[in-house]
Amino acid sequence: MTTTASRQEIKLMAHLMRRAGFGATIGELEARAAKGYATTVEELLHPGEAGDIPQDIIRRYHVDQSELRQPFSAAGNWVYRMVTSANPLEERLALFFHGLFATGYTKLNQARALLNQIEMFRRHGFGPFDTLLIELSKDPAMLLWLDNNENHNGHINENYGRELLELFSMGIGNYSEDDIKEASRAFTGWTLGNVDYMAMRAMKDSIWPYSRIAWHFNFDEGDHDAGEKTFLGETGNFNGEDIVKIICKQDAAAQFICTRLFQFFAADQVTENGQVCIDEMKRSYFESNYEIRTVLRTLFNSSYFKSEEARYARVKGPVELVVGAVRTAGSYTKPTLGVDDVAQQAFFMGQGLLNPPTVEGWHEGDEWIDSGALVERVNFVANELSNPDQPGVRTIINRLTENKESGVTAEQLVDDCLEAMGSLDVSRDTLNVLHDHVAGIEKATDDKNELGSRIAELLGLIGASREYQLA
Amino acid sequence: MATQTATQHLKYDRTLGYAAMDARGFYYPVSLTIRPDGQMFIQGRSHDGDTRGARITVMDYESNYGGDFGSYGSNDGQFTWPTDIAVDSENNLYVADEYLQRISKFDREVNFVNKWGVKGSGPGQINGPAGLTLDYEDNLYVSDHRNGRIQVFTTDGEFIRAFGSPGDGVGQLNLPWGITVAPGGDLFVADWRNDRIQRFTTEGQFVRTYGESGSGDGQLNRPASVAVDEDGYLYIADWANERVQILDPDGCFVQKIYGEATDSVWAQDYLDSNPDEKGARSQSDLEQYHLLDTDDPHEIASHIEPIFWSPICVELFDDKLFILERNRHRIQVYKKNN
Repeated sequence: MTTTASRQEIKLMAHLMRRAGFGATIGELEARAAKGYATTVEELLHPGEAGDIPQDIIRRYHVDQSELRQPFSAAGNWVYRMVTSANPLEERLALFFHGLFATGYTKLNQARALLNQIEMFRRHGFGPFDTLLIELSKDPAMLLWLDNNENHNGHINENYGRELLELFSMGIGNYSEDDIKEASRAFTGWTLGNVDYMAMRAMKDSIWPYSRIAWHFNFDEGDHDAGEKTFLGETGNFNGEDIVKIICKQDAAAQFICTRLFQFFAADQVTENGQVCIDEMKRSYFESNYEIRTVLRTLFNSSYFKSEEARYARVKGPVELVVGAVRTAGSYTKPTLGVDDVAQQAFFMGQGLLNPPTVEGWHEGDEWIDSGALVERVNFVANELSNPDQPGVRTIINRLTENKESGVTAEQLVDDCLEAMGSLDVSRDTLNVLHDHVAGIEKATDDKNELGSRIAELLGLIGASREYQLA
Repeated sequence: MATQTATQHLKYDRTLGYAAMDARGFYYPVSLTIRPDGQMFIQGRSHDGDTRGARITVMDYESNYGGDFGSYGSNDGQFTWPTDIAVDSENNLYVADEYLQRISKFDREVNFVNKWGVKGSGPGQINGPAGLTLDYEDNLYVSDHRNGRIQVFTTDGEFIRAFGSPGDGVGQLNLPWGITVAPGGDLFVADWRNDRIQRFTTEGQFVRTYGESGSGDGQLNRPASVAVDEDGYLYIADWANERVQILDPDGCFVQKIYGEATDSVWAQDYLDSNPDEKGARSQSDLEQYHLLDTDDPHEIASHIEPIFWSPICVELFDDKLFILERNRHRIQVYKKNN
């Protein structure tokens, strides 16, 4: 039994792990709480060895995850990483940038390039925003996704230049049409190796004769417009790097990235208190030379983030929901036929990994929930968490049945299950439903098997609750 | 990367096959075996999202297509996660399936004969059959990889003996994969996660090891398959190093090859039928090493089409070495320099 104070610490840690991770069971929460909140934040911000399933093991069994051609195979590979990584924030941040810089399979037919982009987010996601944007501008998947291979000296294609300003860094209203043209000129010559052949194969979805050839960046100096440009009030012979550095100096860029990080990690809606937090994040952005790690540290340590106002203030995205349930259940921790289906389930709920609907990414928050998606969400989570054969479920059952005195009440059992699943809070209405489900459990608690079965049912039912849809 | 050593034990000859989910070609091929009449049987695997690759393609060295058989599933004659294929002295074929935990037997006309296998760790039970080979008395050896041992059966599935145990000590095995009986009679095992080849007598007595972890000459990174010729030279699919290495009978390094694929007959047919791709391909440099910023062999191989990518099976026939690449869906053939 924890004290009141430590119980509050556990609750706060549970909140942090729902946001900076995919949730955590009580065992992990206790271990992290023992280290302290600030220490845990630093650990999350400084990923070490992921400790996930080694790629050689995955590649041996999943031939498709070795070649990484198909979207669901590549998504399955990322699911393995998210499920087994010891660095959940690294994966959450990659997921954030995947939604922000949304690049999709549909046009590319090259899943490996997308997963390579995700790996780039892991490498640079915590670092300076300008470095990340430069890497993004060189990313082969992005180059083809937004047609920069068609952006030539003297014949610009504005697609990448426009989206860089509008969707990736500042937002509409902070630049002119001329700025878009000048930025596009600066990115001429940023293309792929063997671009014509690669673009043709992508368009035709050709795997022949010997399957996909991975893409790599090529700077074609002969196709680069090295002339003078005026961009956001500055003039010079700018190239793409210069454009990004000018962008990142703008207050609009700070407002943009800090707000998007806030909405992903703190709350869907920005309240007055939330804007105060965003302003603190912006100060950190400039003081750290645009370092995302510093901005996130400010967010997670802010009084707003720790406040009751921020708790359960976000609708879980489908991937977040699915991965959280799988991590709790302890399934898919070794190569398993069917891991692709986990990624497909998130797709059915509205979030196809590596396949966002448009360059704008997914519409998040309340828009994740419609009647069809809700059924998919509830069914998946309930199935995962009500299966007593799943190792994680079995661990919870063992924890709750060991040393259990006979005569446990329905109220106690429900409280214990909510605590075991991650110190979850639920409404009075939900509590009543859960209590009703295990009414009379006092008579069954001498039978450990019966008690275990009832606990598994209860876990599934909690997974089906309204509150489990929130983070 | 594709440079050869001064000692040219093997010389590139040709490339066979191409990627195809049906008819000519193969899809995620994992193993091949060659009958004395030269017919090659290539086992494809498929994946969660597309099961069409789970079949056996028949062809020969001259790229004559001999049809295909088998399909994805768990019924008789079907495969789910096939791993290896082998042929006995009567031209019967055997296929191991690590998901279905069974060995399937087909006759010389490729009709399904029978199957056996029960998951477990007891004598005769298997947990992940990963490699198959037959000795000169038609005993069938199975690398029972999750049990870390080799099991020997009759060709009708009767258990004869088992040897080896999980671990990294002498004679122990860590997820063994491909196996072969050498002309001299000993059994060679690709001790995959121990990064070595282990040699046993067919009775199971440990003889010696070859290789150690690493990427240098004579070092191995997850070897998947091994072949041994009449002179005792070893040909090793050095899988995670994305290369094939040749060691002499004493285990000394002889040569490493990285592949230099050209357009196979079937690839040429495809390109001739798709002149737009053929034209763009002819304008391309498919060996743009200078644009890569990685030293990971797997990543490099994904970018450079002619070199090996997931060399998973090596097979000797006459004076040739056939190297099967799972991720490139093709076979590169090298000839011995006699």
